[in-house]
Amino acid sequence: MSATRTQRFEAEALAGLRGLAARHPSIFRVNWPRRLLSVAIVAVLAGLFVSGFWALGFSFARIAGGLDKLVEFAGFMLPPSPGSYATFLTYLMALAQTLAIAFLGTLTAAILAFPFGFLAAKNVIPNVFLHFSLRRGLDVVRGVDVLIWALIWINVVGLGPFAGILAVATSNFGEFGKLFSEAIEAMNKKAVEGVASTGGGKLHQVRFGLLPQVFPVIVSQVLYYFESNTRSATIIGVVGAGGVGLHLYEQIRMLEWQHVSFLVLMILLTVAVIDFVSGRLRFAIIGNAKIAA
Amino acid sequence: MLVLEGVSRRFGAKVAVDKVELTVVPGSFVGVIGRSGAGKSTLLRMINRLVDPSDGRIRCGDVDVTGLRGRELRDWRARCAMIFQQFNLVGRLDVLTNVLMGRLNAAPSAKSLVRLWGVEDKAIALAALEQFDIAGLAAQRADSLSGGQQQRVAIARALAQSPEIILADEPIASLDPRNTRIVMDALQRINRTYGITVICNLHSLELARGYCDRLVGMAAGRVVFDGLPESLTDDVARELYGLEAADVIGEGATSPAAAGWGARSPVAIPA
Amino acid sequence: MSHVIARLPEPRLRALEDAYGAAVAAKRRQVLLGGLVLAALVGLSAWAGEVDLAKFFANLWRFPSYIGDIVPTLRLAHLGEDLAEWYWGLGYWLRLMGETLLIAYLGTMLGGLCAISLCFLAAANLSRSARVRWLVRRVLEFCRTVPEIVFALIFVAAFGLGPVPGVLAIAIHTTGALGKLFSEVVENIDMKPVEGVSATGATWLETVRFAVLPQVLSNFASYGLLRFEINVRGAAVMGFVGAGGIGQDLIESIRKFYYSDVSAILLIIIATVMVIDLATERLRHALIGMERRS
Ligand SMILES: Nc1ncnc2c1ncn2[C@@H]1O[C@H](COP(=O)(O)OP(=O)(O)O)[C@@H](O)[C@H]1O
Ligand SMILES: [Mg+2]
Repeated sequence: MSATRTQRFEAEALAGLRGLAARHPSIFRVNWPRRLLSVAIVAVLAGLFVSGFWALGFSFARIAGGLDKLVEFAGFMLPPSPGSYATFLTYLMALAQTLAIAFLGTLTAAILAFPFGFLAAKNVIPNVFLHFSLRRGLDVVRGVDVLIWALIWINVVGLGPFAGILAVATSNFGEFGKLFSEAIEAMNKKAVEGVASTGGGKLHQVRFGLLPQVFPVIVSQVLYYFESNTRSATIIGVVGAGGVGLHLYEQIRMLEWQHVSFLVLMILLTVAVIDFVSGRLRFAIIGNAKIAA
Repeated sequence: MLVLEGVSRRFGAKVAVDKVELTVVPGSFVGVIGRSGAGKSTLLRMINRLVDPSDGRIRCGDVDVTGLRGRELRDWRARCAMIFQQFNLVGRLDVLTNVLMGRLNAAPSAKSLVRLWGVEDKAIALAALEQFDIAGLAAQRADSLSGGQQQRVAIARALAQSPEIILADEPIASLDPRNTRIVMDALQRINRTYGITVICNLHSLELARGYCDRLVGMAAGRVVFDGLPESLTDDVARELYGLEAADVIGEGATSPAAAGWGARSPVAIPA
Repeated sequence: MSHVIARLPEPRLRALEDAYGAAVAAKRRQVLLGGLVLAALVGLSAWAGEVDLAKFFANLWRFPSYIGDIVPTLRLAHLGEDLAEWYWGLGYWLRLMGETLLIAYLGTMLGGLCAISLCFLAAANLSRSARVRWLVRRVLEFCRTVPEIVFALIFVAAFGLGPVPGVLAIAIHTTGALGKLFSEVVENIDMKPVEGVSATGATWLETVRFAVLPQVLSNFASYGLLRFEINVRGAAVMGFVGAGGIGQDLIESIRKFYYSDVSAILLIIIATVMVIDLATERLRHALIGMERRS
């Protein structure tokens, strides 16, 4: 039977084990340094992982108790409901505020960052010092979270959605400045040279050589950020800067779980709609292939 | 004894394999020929169960291959190794580990998942590599090898499974004439020394005549020829291949020893 | 010497001009319509967002003045003392920043592990059941759409104040974000090795381990590092809702007008974020380099 003949290969291989080991010692030798290194790496990562949980006060009792409560909360969340029609209208208005914060914040940031993008682009203004300091400045603005910006702007214009708009605008300004200048640096030089070759000045080169190229890229990036800002604008109310986040915060603190789940549902729905619309717009502007922010 | 009973496979409205009846004697070297799109790959993949038949039954001894699931299906796959046109190695792993893939079914999962291979498994993998003179490449990344070398690694992987059947799906279609010979010789050798059944899809008639002891011709999913290589006349071949016939039959080269030279069809062959 | 370009005969010129004019007009109309819609949206948003430019410009001076307030006066002659006074809580803040990093690390690891285990089920080429795939994708979507601060708020109510809810909130959000990215990476792999390995009789887990993981690991690590960077920023504000880290102290010093503390903590956060940015970028480049070499 063939099965027995097939075993012959295995049998032969095993019979020749000593010869194989002699011919290929490196394969049969256990590479202890390497094995120890991989064990050590895993041990360090896992050790940090486990001891980290311990250091931050995780315990089975706490997790179990928390999960227990979560299940209980989940039960209370059903069915989602705003309680009354008036509250529903309040929430709807708050949601509109959230959208306004995201929209105006993104738009303002884009308009302000637009000239900065050109200034911080190496190929437009080839000044190393200016380039470096502008980029680092933008990095600092980016490094501060939008919630922190909200707290700072509240000091200036008081509580409310206006502070939220300014916060989103500021933190996005940092992002856009960097993104725009990178987009401009990545642009094809040919069109600019083409305009220059017809005798166009520096401004002409930017207007007719660069702008038509970068505009779709920039618009697509701005729309992408609008989507992500819609998400952050939902929580900016937590620090008092308007929008649906304030209600969410209050309802969670008051353990009004039906309201909470209703608000979360509203947020999910809004985000989905915005993603859809903005995705369509991006597609129309730039085509599917290049949707990459 | 591998037996196919009325095996069919449909992709939507397209019938890729149509009521194939086939009995393969252990230890034989069967060539499956036919133009591209005839259903050769689908047939082989159904035997290994990479593709499930829509109809019919595949049996091997007292095992009903069509009904296998889970552990039993994996055991069956280990018994019938598969070799592919594009080698299907894991390019980023070294050659030895690629061959050790053939031992996964036999080795305990807990150990192999963290690459703690047993000495026996390593010995079998190395012995398989030595069979094809590539043991020296054991530590190299598979994607750094030439096509011919990669296909030999793939055959070594198949051999390491110690299979009863090897299913080779156009194993030489991506190779140059010299490597074609090396790979076909390798298949022939394991067929002869270890009695492993080889079922090999081939596009080239010359090669099929040179290496196989039985030919199965397919056209539009059906078996239209089944017999000894000698009995496959040029007329039958012309019927099998249609317009491609002239390319496939070759420009006058008749000796099986010269197989592979100029025998490749210019038509792109899908895997 | 300059040429005069021959003018086209009048009727043909007229026709060309008309066609060009019509095309330009159509484009203009489109732009005009877009502009009108945009203007309407801006107006509506300004109303809903309670934009008050008068107040803004009247109070704008407060912005530089606030920045001026929080930056302490450092005298060159007494630099040491002034710095010591400014960073009076350095050890304490650094410990809190360490806790923040730990929250980010644990959240990233935990979320990353969940993402790795879920992404194969969400990838169209590997998951074996369409129903499971649909379910996993919806779960991932939920995890990344709900902002992590919202999870943190709910978890604070369930698990109590401290870093525990912070870690869990970040982990859940990370699961959603990385799960989606990972499953996209998995969907783009070369399937030939997968076929090759599973045809040998390997289990699903073994196939994933040997045919998929080697192809995706460097991408996973790269995305994981990027996520860690994002999570450090996120963890820095977790304290705003009582979920641990340095944010708690920051919001208190902002609310209670401990001006110099605000700038001290902010600088620590910004410096840490920058260092982490640089470090992860280097690590990612090293990873890509390793990929190329081996
Ligand atoms: N996964 C698939 N989906 C749809 N159609 C397929 C698939 N695989 C094969 N086919 C079709 O089945 C037919 C036979 O294909 P195949 O078995 O690859 O032929 P061969 O290997 O002889 O070239 C072809 O028409 C092919 O288009
Ligand atoms: Mg084929």
